[in-house]
Amino acid sequence: MRRFVVAFLVIAGLLLYVGGKVKIMRLGYQIEALEKEKQDLERANRSLRIEVSSLTSPARIEEIATKKLGMIRPPKEAVVVVKRKAPPRQE
Amino acid sequence: MERRGRIIAVLLIMGLAFALVVMRLVFLQVVERSKLSARAERQQEQVVTLEAKRGTIFDRMGRELAVSVDVDSVYGIPSKIDDPRELAQRLSRILRQDPRKLERKLAGDKHFVWLSRKVDPTKAEKVKELGSAEIRLRPESRRFYPKKELAGPVLGFLGIDNQGLEGIERAYDQTLRGVNGWVLEEKDAMGRMVFPGGPGLQFRMPKPGSDIVLTIDEVIQHIAEKELDAALASSRAKGGVCIVMNPQSGEVLALSVRTSGHGHPPFNPNEPQHFKPGEWRNRAVTDSFEPGSIFKPVLAAAALEERVIHPLERVDCSAGKIQIHDRVIKDAHENGVLTFTDVIAESSNVGTIKVALRLGKDRFYKYITAFGFGRKTGVDMPGEIPGLLRDQRLWSGVSIGEIAIGQEIGVTPMQMAAAYSALANGGTLIKPYVVAEIIDRGGGAGTKFSPQPIGRVITEETCAKVNKILRRVIEAGTGQKAHPSGYTAAGKTGTAQKVDQRTGNYSKREYVSSFVGYAPATSPKLVIVVMVDTPEGVIWGGSVAAPVFKAVAEQSLAYMQVPPDDEGSRMLLVAR
Repeated sequence: MRRFVVAFLVIAGLLLYVGGKVKIMRLGYQIEALEKEKQDLERANRSLRIEVSSLTSPARIEEIATKKLGMIRPPKEAVVVVKRKAPPRQE
Repeated sequence: MERRGRIIAVLLIMGLAFALVVMRLVFLQVVERSKLSARAERQQEQVVTLEAKRGTIFDRMGRELAVSVDVDSVYGIPSKIDDPRELAQRLSRILRQDPRKLERKLAGDKHFVWLSRKVDPTKAEKVKELGSAEIRLRPESRRFYPKKELAGPVLGFLGIDNQGLEGIERAYDQTLRGVNGWVLEEKDAMGRMVFPGGPGLQFRMPKPGSDIVLTIDEVIQHIAEKELDAALASSRAKGGVCIVMNPQSGEVLALSVRTSGHGHPPFNPNEPQHFKPGEWRNRAVTDSFEPGSIFKPVLAAAALEERVIHPLERVDCSAGKIQIHDRVIKDAHENGVLTFTDVIAESSNVGTIKVALRLGKDRFYKYITAFGFGRKTGVDMPGEIPGLLRDQRLWSGVSIGEIAIGQEIGVTPMQMAAAYSALANGGTLIKPYVVAEIIDRGGGAGTKFSPQPIGRVITEETCAKVNKILRRVIEAGTGQKAHPSGYTAAGKTGTAQKVDQRTGNYSKREYVSSFVGYAPATSPKLVIVVMVDTPEGVIWGGSVAAPVFKAVAEQSLAYMQVPPDDEGSRMLLVAR
């Protein structure tokens, strides 16, 4: 009977050990997959930032503003400079 | 008895087989252990390079001008390819390459061959769809310039291995690069990485490249490029330069260089292979030209500082020409007796030379060098030249006259910007610069650059006198087309004959038209240099270059929200 228990414990111990190692390996694969996903997202993010930069280039904005939206640069007559006068001091 | 014998025989055979297996096992595990172990490690372990991200280049407001992004490059493993011809046919349609060249690459025994580097994402997708195990993708870093041609020659561009070849990319290559790292990876039988690796993970983190912030303002750069292009197109010129600089600090706000001539597209660093080397040359610092009359204020400043002339003193220019040594120099148009102020405002060569002779070559030379001519400005862009200034001991009898009117001397547009900045800021020569800040992405401190004054050239008092004269140029002289509406301004026109390369004499047909000035004159915020190379038809600086100054000044000052300071502009006084 005794020998049976010992053998059982030994085998159980070995199984736990191997099981643990397998779990570690599986987690490692998961980490790698997530790392790759993170890199892909970062890549996509950079690409989009570049696209934003390109779309906001002054040449493009001016072209759209003048040709598509019909805007014009304000002539000097249309600009009025307002200067604040300092309030008189309270005596 | 017989059955027993057979059982023993079977047991013996099984025992023998078992013993053989055990012996083989012992052999592999014990005897060959180290050799096989090492071989397994080599297949399992791999040193992977972690590429450092190249730093981004920003304009002064933090807008991206140059960014690196990972894109896919296509490679093949010829040693595993059975039918290179068929694969080459399919690939040639996707990669737009000659199928025979592809076939040659794919035949043979190599383990790795590049097929097409840094391709567009659509092409990469199609390569993936091929589903071939021997044609693979690998990410590589590629540089993008999202604003396309904007400030192209200033930014420069990279070679195929991400090394800076021109411009800021080259001048600050080490700073932008960073340092690659590495990691020792363990792979399992399927080639997947096992994490964590062996006896403690061995790695070195890559040090990312530093980011660079320029002094350039994207909007002012766009204004300068747009207005210069308009002038080049209408005058059908060969090229031109426009610099916008802050005269108090030396920050370069815009640097527009056009060398490809009207009708040709300006340099786009996204596609350097479509351009010839001359077309990305930064002529603002790499080439010199004879400035002509825009150089006269140097003589004026020197003469006023040394008190050999007074701004209202009368100078007789009615002869229309002056003999100096063995040469006769003429005025462009008739003048009478002019005050010195009008000598400059009307750009009389005769008047200028008379005053130069009064000053004398020793003192004149001193001021020319004090204004920075004959030396590099020290701006942080590659390829700067010091210009051409003959040592005064080598001056001929005519030199003093020629140089006073801006001939017999070679200057760069950047030197003109620095010299006029001294006139605009009260008399101190400062060092122009293009990089405002270096940001360390690796956690270090980074560097901020600040203005660097070089030395005082003239007193503030003299400066004020020169200022008045240069304002007159625009109010009533040759520079009236430079007057930005709503603002006061000061400057000088120039129309210089180019040297005919074949004869060595001054050309009668080819000119450089320029205008250099600053605005507002009451409190200068911008120095603007405009140089137009070989305009056709009308060639006067006052007609070709001055309008560019006006347009750039108006738009830039409005963008900077500088209030108009010209009397006659509409202003409302509001009590609180």
